[in-house]
Amino acid sequence: MSLSERFNRWIFESWSVSAEGLGLLRIISALFILFFLIPGYGTSHFNFLADLPPDFYAPPPGPMMLFESFPSAAIFQWVHTILLFSLFAMLLGYRTKLTSILTGVSILILQGIIFSVGKVNHEILVAVVPVVMAFSNWGAAFSIDSVRRGHNRQTENWPLTLLALFIGFMMFTAGFPKILGGWLDPTTQATQGHLLNQFFVRERQAMLAEFMVQFDSVLFWELLDWITVLFEIGFLAAVFSPKWFRRFVAFAVLFHFSTMMTLNIAFLPNFLAYAVFLNWDGIYQSNLRLYRRLTGKRGERSKKRSALLLSAVVGLLFFLLNRLSSMDLVLRESDLTLHEVVFLFFALFVVMWIGIKKCA
Amino acid sequence: MEMKSKTIRAIFITVMIWLPVQYGIVGIVGYYQSEPWPAFVFPGFKSVYVYNEGFEIEQAYIEVWTEQGEPPVRLLPQEFFPELPLSQVPGFMRTHFLTDETNRQFSNQAKRWLYQQAVQVTELDAALLDIVLEVNYYSHHPHGLERDSVTEKMRYTIKLIDQNEPQRTI
Repeated sequence: MSLSERFNRWIFESWSVSAEGLGLLRIISALFILFFLIPGYGTSHFNFLADLPPDFYAPPPGPMMLFESFPSAAIFQWVHTILLFSLFAMLLGYRTKLTSILTGVSILILQGIIFSVGKVNHEILVAVVPVVMAFSNWGAAFSIDSVRRGHNRQTENWPLTLLALFIGFMMFTAGFPKILGGWLDPTTQATQGHLLNQFFVRERQAMLAEFMVQFDSVLFWELLDWITVLFEIGFLAAVFSPKWFRRFVAFAVLFHFSTMMTLNIAFLPNFLAYAVFLNWDGIYQSNLRLYRRLTGKRGERSKKRSALLLSAVVGLLFFLLNRLSSMDLVLRESDLTLHEVVFLFFALFVVMWIGIKKCA
Repeated sequence: MEMKSKTIRAIFITVMIWLPVQYGIVGIVGYYQSEPWPAFVFPGFKSVYVYNEGFEIEQAYIEVWTEQGEPPVRLLPQEFFPELPLSQVPGFMRTHFLTDETNRQFSNQAKRWLYQQAVQVTELDAALLDIVLEVNYYSHHPHGLERDSVTEKMRYTIKLIDQNEPQRTI
């Protein structure tokens, strides 16, 4: 097989998802963004930024430098409203390609303004996922588009490969500076240093943080340094094999889980991107089988109804979790939120369940 | 269909060239200025915080002084700016307060805003803010890591402007 053929196979045949699988992914992704990943912390956060004097406007080099100060609260609300409308349209599958792109762009604009306080958070994947997946035709099923005349049911697999490439490269950019910074030097325990920094400076002291601060084994911490670097660098190579990429995504879940337990950093935005690589056809089929068993209905309509029911249940659960999380009943002293902890435990459970199923 | 495949291949080739190029740009611009945005990068967490056999951790504080000469109220930056997400607080401090002397210019508008913020957080009639940067040294002991010593690396004062006294400009 020639290099060109291999390149084509990698782009077009690495991943395969049906219209139904992509439809479910679109709905769950839209709900996930809607309840948990919209940039900023609502009106009070936007008002705070809008009131900041121009002295504190420090845009990162890039398009935000076109402005000289933070926009007014009204502009924040406008962008926020556009984002909500486009996100709802994406959820319902109305002009899905356009509204998915609009969702991604609105997220980018909000992020850009928020990051102009002088600190960039690395959450660009929240915007990248809807933009890239817009080209997969993820509005082909369970959508308003799918009932419109002349709609196209053909899905595209290459956006998944493209998204995998973005994730793999971005992970590489996390690993490479660590090598230059001395993480592999056996006389430095960088992970332990970061733990101390998070624990004392940022007061991230929830979960196992206190226990780990007292855990003073040079071998253990050095091993963590090496595993972290190898994992992040290796992610880029894994992009070229779907099997290995899924393994790295599974390991990423374990990695983020341990980071949450020790450093109290959850990195939830990444989970939106990781979720794309779940077996959505399998999830759709399992859900359909369960629906048919519970209701006894076998007709063609059961396909749509099973998906709608699952979407409604997930939407309701997300809504409740969002409300509970915003009540600040637990983790009051931490900047970790209840929903972050719940999602990371759930992701860990999913990874372990898939792992056990594969081994059995 | 064939044309479409060619377009997609071209997109992939462009992205595969662009990703390392933009990473290089991020490195260069980040070195001389600050990290550009938007960029397809994750945080490197490059620092290792090691000194001799232990660790050195920098910690910033904001001390709020009143004109009555009472002891200052010492706050962590996240306590002084509770509206900011914790993940952005160190970057906000680094960019605006922990810079070298030439970049510590605050307009009257900023001093008024800081006054408001100080009053809101401490409920005191604040007059001055001291920005303090300390370095904590931790070393290995038989029963775990312990802080050995603390040194003050930076301290300077910002004279606040009371909302009701617009003529005070120092």
